[in-house]
Amino acid sequence: MLKILIPTLMLIPAIWLSPAKWIWQMTTMNGLLIATASLIWMKKPWDTGWSFLSPYLGTDSLSSPLLVLSCWLLPLMVMASQNHMTSEPIPRQRLYITIMVILHSLLILAFGATELLMFYLMFEATLIPTLFLITRWGNQTERLTAGTYFLFYTLAGSLPLLVALLMLQNDTGTLSMLILPYTQPLTHSNWGSGFWWTACLLAFLVKMPLYGIHLWLPKAHVEAPVAGSMVLAAVLLKLGGYGMMRILVILGPLTKELAYPFMVLALWGLIMTAAICLRQTDLKSLIAYSSVGHMGLVVAGILIQTTWGFSGALTLMIAHGLTSSALFCLANTNYERTHTRTMVLARGLQAALPLMGLWWFIASVANLALPPLPNFVAEVSIIMSLWNWSWWTIFLTGTGTLITAGYSLYMFLMTQRGPIPSHILPLPPSHTREHLLIALHLLPLLLLTLKPSLIWGWC
Amino acid sequence: MATKQPFNARLQEFTFVSRSARHQTNMADYKEAPLASRPITLDANEYYNLSPDKRRAEAERAALRANLKRQYLTQLNNPHRKELIEDPALTRWVYARTNPYPHFRPTFKTSLMGILSGIVPLFSLYFIFKLDRRRKERMIQDGTLDRTLGLSS
Repeated sequence: MLKILIPTLMLIPAIWLSPAKWIWQMTTMNGLLIATASLIWMKKPWDTGWSFLSPYLGTDSLSSPLLVLSCWLLPLMVMASQNHMTSEPIPRQRLYITIMVILHSLLILAFGATELLMFYLMFEATLIPTLFLITRWGNQTERLTAGTYFLFYTLAGSLPLLVALLMLQNDTGTLSMLILPYTQPLTHSNWGSGFWWTACLLAFLVKMPLYGIHLWLPKAHVEAPVAGSMVLAAVLLKLGGYGMMRILVILGPLTKELAYPFMVLALWGLIMTAAICLRQTDLKSLIAYSSVGHMGLVVAGILIQTTWGFSGALTLMIAHGLTSSALFCLANTNYERTHTRTMVLARGLQAALPLMGLWWFIASVANLALPPLPNFVAEVSIIMSLWNWSWWTIFLTGTGTLITAGYSLYMFLMTQRGPIPSHILPLPPSHTREHLLIALHLLPLLLLTLKPSLIWGWC
Repeated sequence: MATKQPFNARLQEFTFVSRSARHQTNMADYKEAPLASRPITLDANEYYNLSPDKRRAEAERAALRANLKRQYLTQLNNPHRKELIEDPALTRWVYARTNPYPHFRPTFKTSLMGILSGIVPLFSLYFIFKLDRRRKERMIQDGTLDRTLGLSS
C-alpha cells in the first residue's frame, strides 16, 4: 500500500521543485508510473479476502478496482488540465496539480481504509480539495453556488453518519471492516434503529447521488474545471457506492424492510434524469444528469443485497467512471475550442474533427451500455437481479435503458452530425494529447470487455 | 405513317414556352380559394397606399436589420477572430432554459404535473414493490416458489 502512497505524496515536492516547463509532463509521467504500479493491487486476494494488509490500510476485491481506477485517473486529470492552465502563473499551476495530488492521496486512503471511521474521515476530507477545484478554477460565476451546494449537501448528509458510526463503535467496540461482518447483526425494528439505519446510509446516498437529493451534482459537475469534473464523475461518486457496500454488511436484516423508499427513488430517478437529459441544452449538464441515472441503477443494485446486484453495481461503477470521465474530456475539447457548453453551437464536428468523432462514438455507445462493453455487463446484471427481486422493476429499468439510449444518441448526433454552424470559427485540430487522453480512458474500457471478472468484486 | 412535313413544321410543339406565357398567370390575378387565403405578400395594400408613418416605420426596421447584419458580417469576415460570434438571443434562450425556477408559478397544470410525476409514481411504486415482495417472501417461506435454478441472483 505504501509503495503507491509514498510516491503519490512525494509527487508534491516533485511538483514544487521541477523546472517550470516540465511540471505537467513530469506529473503525467510519474502518475502513469504510479498507475502502472497500482495494478499490483489487482492480484487475487488471500484466503481472507483482504490483501496488502496493514493495521490501517488494506485492499480487497471490492476496493482494488476502485483504487486502480483512481490511480489511473490522476495522470489523465493532469493531461486534461494542461491546456486550459497555460494562461495561469506558474506557482498557481503548481498549486493546481498539488491540490489534485492531495485529493488523489486522500482517495487512496479512503478506498484503502480498513476501518469505517478512517474511511469516513477521508470521505469528508476529499470534499475540501474538490471544493477548491470547483470554486477557484471553475469558469462561470455560478461556481460559487455550485461549491456551496456540493459542500453542504454532502456535509449535511454525512454528519448523521458520524453519529451512527460512533454509536456503532460504542456497541461493538470496533469499526474494522475485517471484523464487522462477524458482529451481531441489528435485530431491533424500533424507530431508533430505523433512524440509525438511515443515518448510516444517508451520507452515501447523497454522494451517489440518489435522485431526490441529487441537486448538487449537475451544478458541481458543470461548474468544475475539467479535472474536477473528471474526478467527481469517475471517483467521488463511487466513494458513495463503496461506502454503501461496506456499511450494508452491518445494517443487518433491517435493509429488507427499509430499503423500499430508496429503491423507488433510485429507479424512478433513472427515468426522470434520463428524460431531463433529453431536453438539455448544456452538454456538460447532460453528462452530469446521465451520471445521476447510472448511479441510480447502482444504488438499486446495492440495496437489494444479492450477489449479482453487488457485482453489477461494482462493475457499473468502474465502467461508468471511465465512460463519464471520457465524456467530460470530450466535452472539454469542445469547450476549449468554442468556449461555450451549448450544444447547438458546436455541431457537425465529425466533418471537422473525424478522429475525435470516433472517440465520441465509442464514448456515447459505452454510455448507452452497448454489449459487449462492461457497462452492458453491469447494467444487465443489475437489471436481472432487480427482476428477480420484483418483476415489476422491469418497467422502470426497461424504460430507463430506452431513454438512456435515446439521449446518448441525441448527444452524439447533436455534437457530431448535422451542419457545421455557418459562423464556426477556425477549429484548431485535435492535439495528440487530447487523443491520447481519450484513448487512455477508452482503452481500459475496451480491455475490460475481455475480462470483466477483474472488476466483479467478490463473485 | 404521318404525311411528310418539313422538319420545322412541327417544331412549334416542342419549343419551350414559359408557364406564364402559356397560361397567362401573374400575381395580380391571384384569386382566393376556400383553403387558400391571400398571402400577405400578394396583398395590394402592402405595396400601394402606404401611409408615411408606415413607410417611416418600415425604413427604421430595415435600418436596424441592416445594422445588425453589418455587425454580424464584420465579425464573420474578420480574419483575426478567434471566438464565436455572440448571439444575444441565443444567450437569453440558454439562460431561460437553464434557470426556470425563479419564474415558476404554481398553477393547476404545474401542480398536476408535479403530482403525476413526483408523488404518484413514488407512492404507487412503493406499494407495488412492497406488495410484490411480501407475496414473494411468503411464497419463499411456504416453499412454493420455484428457485431451483436461482443460485446467486
